[in-house]
Amino acid sequence: MELMPQALLDGIMLGAVYIIIAIAFSLVYGVMHVIDFAVGEWIMLGAFTGFHLTTWTRVDPFLLLPVVFILFAGLGYLIQPLLQRVISGHTGNPLLMGLVFTFGLSLMFRGLAQTLFGFYSHSIPSHFSTGSFFFQRGDFFLTVSTVRLAGLIYAGVITAALHYLLKYSDFGLGVRALAQHKEAAGLMGVNNKRTSASIYAVYTGTSAMTGVLIGTILSVSAKMGPEYTIFAFFVVVLAGMGYLAGVPAAALLLGIIQSVFLVYLDPGYTLLAVFALLYLILLVSPTGLFRKGV
Amino acid sequence: MAPVSKDRRLLGAAVVCAALFCVPLVLHDTFFLRVLTEALMWIGLALSFDVLAGYTGYLNFGHSAFFGIGAYTTALLMMKAHWPFPLALLAGAVAAAAGALLIGLPTLRLRGAYFAIATWALARAIQQFALVSSFTGGPDGMRLTAYLNPQYFYFVMLAVTGGTFFGLWFLLERAPFGLKLKAVREDQESAKALGLNPTWLKLQAMVLAALPTALLGGVFAYWVTFIDPSSTLGDLVSDQALVMVVFGGMGTLIGPVLGAVLMFAFKTLFWAYLSAYEVLYIIILGAVIALSVVFLPDGALGFVLRRRRTRRQAPGADPAPAGPGLAPSEKEA
Amino acid sequence: MPADLRAAVPDAPAAPPGGAEPILEVQHLSKVFGGLTAVNDVSFRLAPGEILGLIGPNGAGKTTLFNVISGYYAPTRGRVLFQGQDVSGRPPYALARRGIGRTFQVVKPFAGLTVLENVVIASFLRHPRRAQAEAQAWRVLETTGLADRAHLPAASLTLAGRKRLEIGKALALEPSFLLLDEVVAGLNPTETDRTMELILGLRADGISILIVEHIMRVIMGISDRLVVLNFGQKIAEGAPRDVARNPSVVQAYLGKEQE
Repeated sequence: MELMPQALLDGIMLGAVYIIIAIAFSLVYGVMHVIDFAVGEWIMLGAFTGFHLTTWTRVDPFLLLPVVFILFAGLGYLIQPLLQRVISGHTGNPLLMGLVFTFGLSLMFRGLAQTLFGFYSHSIPSHFSTGSFFFQRGDFFLTVSTVRLAGLIYAGVITAALHYLLKYSDFGLGVRALAQHKEAAGLMGVNNKRTSASIYAVYTGTSAMTGVLIGTILSVSAKMGPEYTIFAFFVVVLAGMGYLAGVPAAALLLGIIQSVFLVYLDPGYTLLAVFALLYLILLVSPTGLFRKGV
Repeated sequence: MAPVSKDRRLLGAAVVCAALFCVPLVLHDTFFLRVLTEALMWIGLALSFDVLAGYTGYLNFGHSAFFGIGAYTTALLMMKAHWPFPLALLAGAVAAAAGALLIGLPTLRLRGAYFAIATWALARAIQQFALVSSFTGGPDGMRLTAYLNPQYFYFVMLAVTGGTFFGLWFLLERAPFGLKLKAVREDQESAKALGLNPTWLKLQAMVLAALPTALLGGVFAYWVTFIDPSSTLGDLVSDQALVMVVFGGMGTLIGPVLGAVLMFAFKTLFWAYLSAYEVLYIIILGAVIALSVVFLPDGALGFVLRRRRTRRQAPGADPAPAGPGLAPSEKEA
Repeated sequence: MPADLRAAVPDAPAAPPGGAEPILEVQHLSKVFGGLTAVNDVSFRLAPGEILGLIGPNGAGKTTLFNVISGYYAPTRGRVLFQGQDVSGRPPYALARRGIGRTFQVVKPFAGLTVLENVVIASFLRHPRRAQAEAQAWRVLETTGLADRAHLPAASLTLAGRKRLEIGKALALEPSFLLLDEVVAGLNPTETDRTMELILGLRADGISILIVEHIMRVIMGISDRLVVLNFGQKIAEGAPRDVARNPSVVQAYLGKEQE
């Protein structure tokens, strides 16, 4: 039981990172109404890119975050028109076919990663990786690892940036308009294609950046994609699809679950638990804990 | 127009089946026979996957679970309870049907996208579970007593796949059931107003999809004499079935057959010559799925039919195929 | 309004023909969504063979009322009685079986199927065998004038065609009661007249009809009686002429009187 506070703290800090994943994912869903099965793969690719860039340039991964963002935002911007073509296409059930498209993407990315990066898992080294803050009050002590703290700060910065972008910029206004009513937004001059492509680019860039974070805090391997896809689904479904306000609570919960399992149980069971929980949630309340999902 | 060409196609299918039946009598190369047996298995898998995916519009990422249930039930009954093969096979089918009801009852109420996530999560959970439980042999899998008779398994596979094809042809193309499923696929809410109970229909579709898959799994288990979680419950069964169906043409019977034959041919050639680049395989699978969805919305079959119709049509007429497709742009999932 | 149509509309009584058991009865029906009361304590009756028009400004709750009557929503309060039986909250497919058919305001045929197949699906309700279902579907297509387009994809129909297909599908259910939701919206006058003739023909066949429509000449011309909704409440009921002169109705449509 003495390990519990530490586990909780670690979980919360990890959860902060998950918030970013879930927000970006939710944004895309809100605008394009597509569930991206490749979210974990974007994270994985970002992590690997961060790893290799760091190894190659010897620059701290945290400083490379903007580079990773730009790289993957660009990639996302290029790919999005294909996705757009699918969902505005003529097949019955275009949104489901959009899901299939992203599923195909996820397979491609996983294969690419295995080809380029091999099967081993790595940890991305950073100046923050070693080192921690140590708090003690009597018998009660907590270790705050610097890298997780950095992750927390990252989460805070990105959340603030996204919030600012959505609330105060013209682009953000367009995004929110599209999410609420596509035709009306179009009539008001919001360019669906460009805005959708841009928000998708923001999503892919952010997910890749978050991958780098995860790579420094935890590890990166070519097989980690599905795990984070499940995590993203879990957070977003629990929060309620499209309901951004529910994300923090759900993400923190996931982080805590993961941490607790790591400390008290076999981490191999974490995935099983998350799968099982996700499945149960979908059965009981597919619109999320707060019942505000779409 | 429609019924006549349908009967002609059925006759064609019967002829093909008869020809396939005669193959072992002519061909004595067991390697080739085994390749054909596997091809037949994939045709069957693609067909059964399409029942839910193409006809009903529900992507079941957990499709491999039915395959695995069939495989493991057959294996367990034969090895631990010494049941004869045909009986164990049928038991596997019954188990899968039960599984379909169990999985389907709660999940089929969900909308298509949520259903996809739920089945995906469930499939991975089942896989994870099979890996950790020793009852099923864990990650090491199970062995069955070998019965080495390629002709036997060829005929059994042909019987199962052929039976599946003609059974589905009757149920989905002839009987009202298929049309009702398509109605649910197109617009569930409208379908309700016409007296259809979507959840019940979807449940029936899932059971219908589970049965042949489980039979194929059971045959597979006895045929290859070794099964483990990754080969029977892994993603590859569902993923490959998905590729075959999306590439071939969803919502039809010929589409999955075409997709299965083409993808299987590619798969065999790939593993024969490029097995050094095994990671390429999954890239290509993903690429085929993604590109098919974008450029071949009705699959290869739809593409071929559209070309033929445009060439045959008088100029000025509407070259619209009667397949799934031409929906107005406003569509909710 | 064309003289022949006016002649076709009998002088309707202000209340349903006395003595006849109403085919539909809505009793103190309310439907609340979270904070929004879409339908508030609405009651009315519909006699067999009657055409009852449901009118009201946009957002008055007409479609919600339709959705409750046809089983898509369960009432928050109150009941729906069909042929004397309480059917509140029963799902749409159960109601279809009992003889309630409906059309949808936003017409969405099964786009991936042909016109014939669209109707055949509805025919399956009363004719489980394919052959008979197809035969009945052909009859419906003849009635609605779509027989020449039977094998075309439903998505290729014009709006008028789609609206007729929508009615056709409801007819194939062999209903005793039809809910028609804006079946003439967006049609040109010729098409509108043809649809009105069709509807009157249905009434002549004994089908009771509850119709929502915004086009005044249609609903005034066709309905035996009218019910007017505003903000979810019934504000008037009676013969079309009387309702048209009712000050609260005028106010509801035109807003407050100019000072």
